[in-house]
Amino acid sequence: MAIIEVSNLKKSFGQLDVLKQITFNVNKNDVVAVIGPSGSGKSTMLRSLVHLEEINGGSITVSGEPLVKEGVYSKPQEVKRITSKMGMVFQHFNLFPHLTVKENLELPPRLVKKESPEDIQKRSSELLGKIGLADRASAYPANLSGGQKQRVAIARALMMNPEILLFDEPTSALDPELTGEVLEVMKALAEEQMTMIVVTHEMGFAREVANKVMFMDNGEIIESGHPSELFTNPKNERTKAFLTRSLK
Amino acid sequence: MSFDYITSILGPMLEGAQMTVLLFIIAIIASIPLGFLLTLAVKSDIKPLSLLAEGYIYVMRGTPLLLQLLFICFGLPMIPGIGEYLVLDRFVAACLGFVLNYAAYFAEIFRGGLLAIDKGQYEASKVLGLNKWQTTTRIILPQMFRVALPAVANESVTLVKDTALLYAVAVPELLHFAQTAVNRDFTIVPFFVAGLIYLMMTLVLTLFFKGIERKFKFE
Repeated sequence: MAIIEVSNLKKSFGQLDVLKQITFNVNKNDVVAVIGPSGSGKSTMLRSLVHLEEINGGSITVSGEPLVKEGVYSKPQEVKRITSKMGMVFQHFNLFPHLTVKENLELPPRLVKKESPEDIQKRSSELLGKIGLADRASAYPANLSGGQKQRVAIARALMMNPEILLFDEPTSALDPELTGEVLEVMKALAEEQMTMIVVTHEMGFAREVANKVMFMDNGEIIESGHPSELFTNPKNERTKAFLTRSLK
Repeated sequence: MSFDYITSILGPMLEGAQMTVLLFIIAIIASIPLGFLLTLAVKSDIKPLSLLAEGYIYVMRGTPLLLQLLFICFGLPMIPGIGEYLVLDRFVAACLGFVLNYAAYFAEIFRGGLLAIDKGQYEASKVLGLNKWQTTTRIILPQMFRVALPAVANESVTLVKDTALLYAVAVPELLHFAQTAVNRDFTIVPFFVAGLIYLMMTLVLTLFFKGIERKFKFE
């Protein structure tokens, strides 16, 4: 069953059409890798799903509820409720630097969710254990490595119990030797059947972990399919050219 | 120069220093919140409000504090019609001048602090479901104050020294007593004593802000 349905999504910045009539579905438990050259609109597409970008046309439906229908957004409260089903992990982590790791995890649910503090604390210790940072609970983000920061950011997103997790180039800001620890956490989430959309340059991850790959170029989805198919037997010339460049 | 002489002038000078400290405390306590409100006004979506705040900051930063003090003390009472109701006690007038002037500087400092905050902080807050108020009070302002802290400390030290402008509107403060003693006793020792007292005040202030900076290092 489709958990996200996007049809004819259009987005432009001034004269520039960044997204041209994008249409795709994401099913529950899918791990979708979005690949493509810089400036192809991958991040803008992802940001549109959580309303960090306002789209200019088309529809977005999340678990059957319309976020935007033919370019018209639902009421602000509805938009907030619907986008809260999605969590997002950013390229630059965007942790709150004035809060400790534990506070980064616990403050948002404490402010937003109607849950007991005990439940929130229990979940935050569980998640910190899961990402292997139980001993850094009282550290500030400034004292963490990039890989640790991104793992905390993933845990922070998970604290809100999202149905879908979006990753916007989660390893692009990391030193190469630190990408592995973040990809491991993402892999573990995929194994737990988390629905994920991952904008990435990590072809290895797309190939191994994703069950669907979308190749975007110039604001369009050029080709999509199972990684075994798209990586070994790309149909479109642009896909071929991109893959030859990136897999070199 | 005898030790006795220094102790004999120290009494009145410390009395003058009390006035300095009092003005400092009043000015800092009132101008920081007022400056913060001005920042909010500048950032406001209500265009007339933000223009008004910007104009205010422009005027207060663009003219000398001494001119503003003289205007409040001596200028206001000369306004035809309403002047007679605007005759203020000198010290009160000076406090008013300092607060109005320093608020404009603090507003710019806080605005700078806001500019330093990455837009990713707003985006993360939004995606996590925080509303505008929660984002502002729990995420943005604590970071803004942290960024602004060194500049606030710097401005506070300037404020201590600026209190000497009270001299110009004839409020008896530290410098006034020093100058009187210099004229009366024909010695420059009181200037050195005054300098030391100012240094002590700024030292205390510097240490105080260093302490706060350490406490809010977030490391």
